[in-house]
Amino acid sequence: MGRITLDKVQKSFGDVEVIPPLDLEIEDGEFVVFVGPSGCGKSTLLRLIAGLEDVTGGDITIDGTPATDLPPAKRRLAMVFQSYALYPHMSVRKNIAFPMKMAGIPQDEQARRIDNAARVLNLTDYLDRRPGQLSGGQRQRVAIGRAIVREPAAFLFDEPLSNLDAALRVGMRLEISELHKRLATTMIYVTHDQVEAMTMADKIVVLRAGHIEQVGSPLELYRTPRNLFVAGFIGSPRMNFIDGEDASSRGAHTIGVRPEHLAVSDSDGVWRGTVGVAEHLGSDTFFHVHFDGRDEPITVRATGEVALKHGDTVWLTPDEDRIHRFDQQGLRI
Amino acid sequence: MATQHSRAAARVMIAPSVILLLAWMLVPLLMTLYFSFLRYNLLMPGANPFVGFENYTYFLSDPAFQTAIVNTLLLVGGVLVITVVGGIAVATLLDQPMWGTGLVRIMVISPFFVMPTVSALVWKNMFMNPVNGLFAWIADVLGMAAFDFLTQAPLASIIGIVSWQWLPFATLILLTAMQSLDSEQLEAAEMDGASAWARFWHIKLPHLARAITVVVLIQTIFLLSIFAEILVTTNGGPGTASTNLTYLVYAESLLRFDVGTGSAGGVVAIILANIVAIFLMRMIGKNLDA
Ligand SMILES: Nc1ncnc2c1ncn2[C@@H]1O[C@H](COP(=O)(O)OP(=O)(O)OP(=O)(O)O)[C@@H](O)[C@H]1O
Ligand SMILES: [Mg+2]
Repeated sequence: MGRITLDKVQKSFGDVEVIPPLDLEIEDGEFVVFVGPSGCGKSTLLRLIAGLEDVTGGDITIDGTPATDLPPAKRRLAMVFQSYALYPHMSVRKNIAFPMKMAGIPQDEQARRIDNAARVLNLTDYLDRRPGQLSGGQRQRVAIGRAIVREPAAFLFDEPLSNLDAALRVGMRLEISELHKRLATTMIYVTHDQVEAMTMADKIVVLRAGHIEQVGSPLELYRTPRNLFVAGFIGSPRMNFIDGEDASSRGAHTIGVRPEHLAVSDSDGVWRGTVGVAEHLGSDTFFHVHFDGRDEPITVRATGEVALKHGDTVWLTPDEDRIHRFDQQGLRI
Repeated sequence: MATQHSRAAARVMIAPSVILLLAWMLVPLLMTLYFSFLRYNLLMPGANPFVGFENYTYFLSDPAFQTAIVNTLLLVGGVLVITVVGGIAVATLLDQPMWGTGLVRIMVISPFFVMPTVSALVWKNMFMNPVNGLFAWIADVLGMAAFDFLTQAPLASIIGIVSWQWLPFATLILLTAMQSLDSEQLEAAEMDGASAWARFWHIKLPHLARAITVVVLIQTIFLLSIFAEILVTTNGGPGTASTNLTYLVYAESLLRFDVGTGSAGGVVAIILANIVAIFLMRMIGKNLDA
């Protein structure tokens, strides 16, 4: 129960077309992540689905029923906002109860669902506090609790973790993934963090300027990016792009090599360069290697600790099977 | 102020202003208190003997006193209700995106810039006058008898005039508070299935609680001492129908030149204001806590 279809959905603010006509199919129970650079229209697309923004053209269907003209409350979707949007004057319990109160659900059923949500989200001890007396992570959980109790057809998340610190973010990421496994409800999740996208998604939708650049599972996008944009956006650190002689000898305009698909040697290899900055993470080391006649350094990942330092000469060898080739238009060959 | 030393220094630093403020308030207060125990009538020069509570008994047993208390409370309460309810309504309207909002806002604020005497005179002569007033003309056009507002409903008319003056203030404060509401909260409520009315009741109104408290407290301070509007329109009459405590004190001390009774009335007014303040803080003061 949570199949969402977008058919030529389009959105303009005044004369500015933010989302050109766009088709997208979201299957029941899927965890879909919208990623893209800032301002590409992720939030707008989510708000169109939620009904907080009216479409300029096209149709939205939820579970087979046309939803384009339905008000937000009738679409059976629950949204978790980036600012959490908790009601500051209500206790946590009242916050979570609010959508049920609006729907006229009986008191005892309300209490049952609140207890359930509080248990799942570890909020039992905080039910009588106000949002102002909670930490960021706890507020986040209250916002999720408020969404869960409605038993919606799908959850919409707009960058829910961007206000949390790094450690908490990893924790909440796991909690949301776990929640998805448990509830098996469709979730649409907006982020500009490609690590969140890779780790959580069943299906990633990469957006640029309102266009869908590619849709696929995280590994599909990683292995076969359809164009230069997706190739550069998915994967961390970024893929290295090389054109010129090396590319044309492989029958491409540009070739892309991921940092983890380059072998490092201090004696021999295909490309010879000098080590610039080295980032030691313990488990991995990232080297920025400079080449004559190339502005940008090439990033290389070496596992473990490697004893190379600034100014050393290194040889890099790409894994030929894993070189991505792109044509003049930036499309994958 | 972590240390004993800096705390002492802080006391010394703020002492001058505290002393100045105290003197500023205490000297007139103490003089009023002192006069209130004297027989002191400007028409009867000579000795001003100490008479104990005679002035107080006189003032409190005056039949006009009870009317004045009731009128004061009615005036304050009536204006508060009208300005808060009206202010919320007007602020809600002004908060809607519409053409010409800037101009409308300035027009709504403008009554606040008209001084009380002038606005009361304008109301008295141009609107409420039973012969030449606008309302009389409207009644005439509709074929009804003109209503003499200031004679037949003096207190209600004054409440109307004062409300008109204070509505902009309430609107302005409530409007800024309304605009500080996070729009995502309203959107969340919308997704949670709240109707426009439920959003107003459960989200907007609680958000306004603090602003409403501020409006009520500030206005109460000023409304307890309404004077000019009464002086220019009804002179407290007919009879004592529109006399409030401030006006009664004025009538005692300046119309009858009785400084002693006037001072006693002033002290009574201070006590009344404090009682009102205590009640108000009990009722709504908790809204001001963060
Ligand atoms: N109400 C609006 N009126 C006009 N333009 C808007 C409005 N809302 C968004 N836009 C424009 O639409 C584009 C997409 O905005 P959107 O908020 O969807 O970006 P986003 O992908 O969510 O970015 P971010 O990652 O920074 O949140 C932006 O260029 C923005 O300026
Ligand atoms: Mg956004």
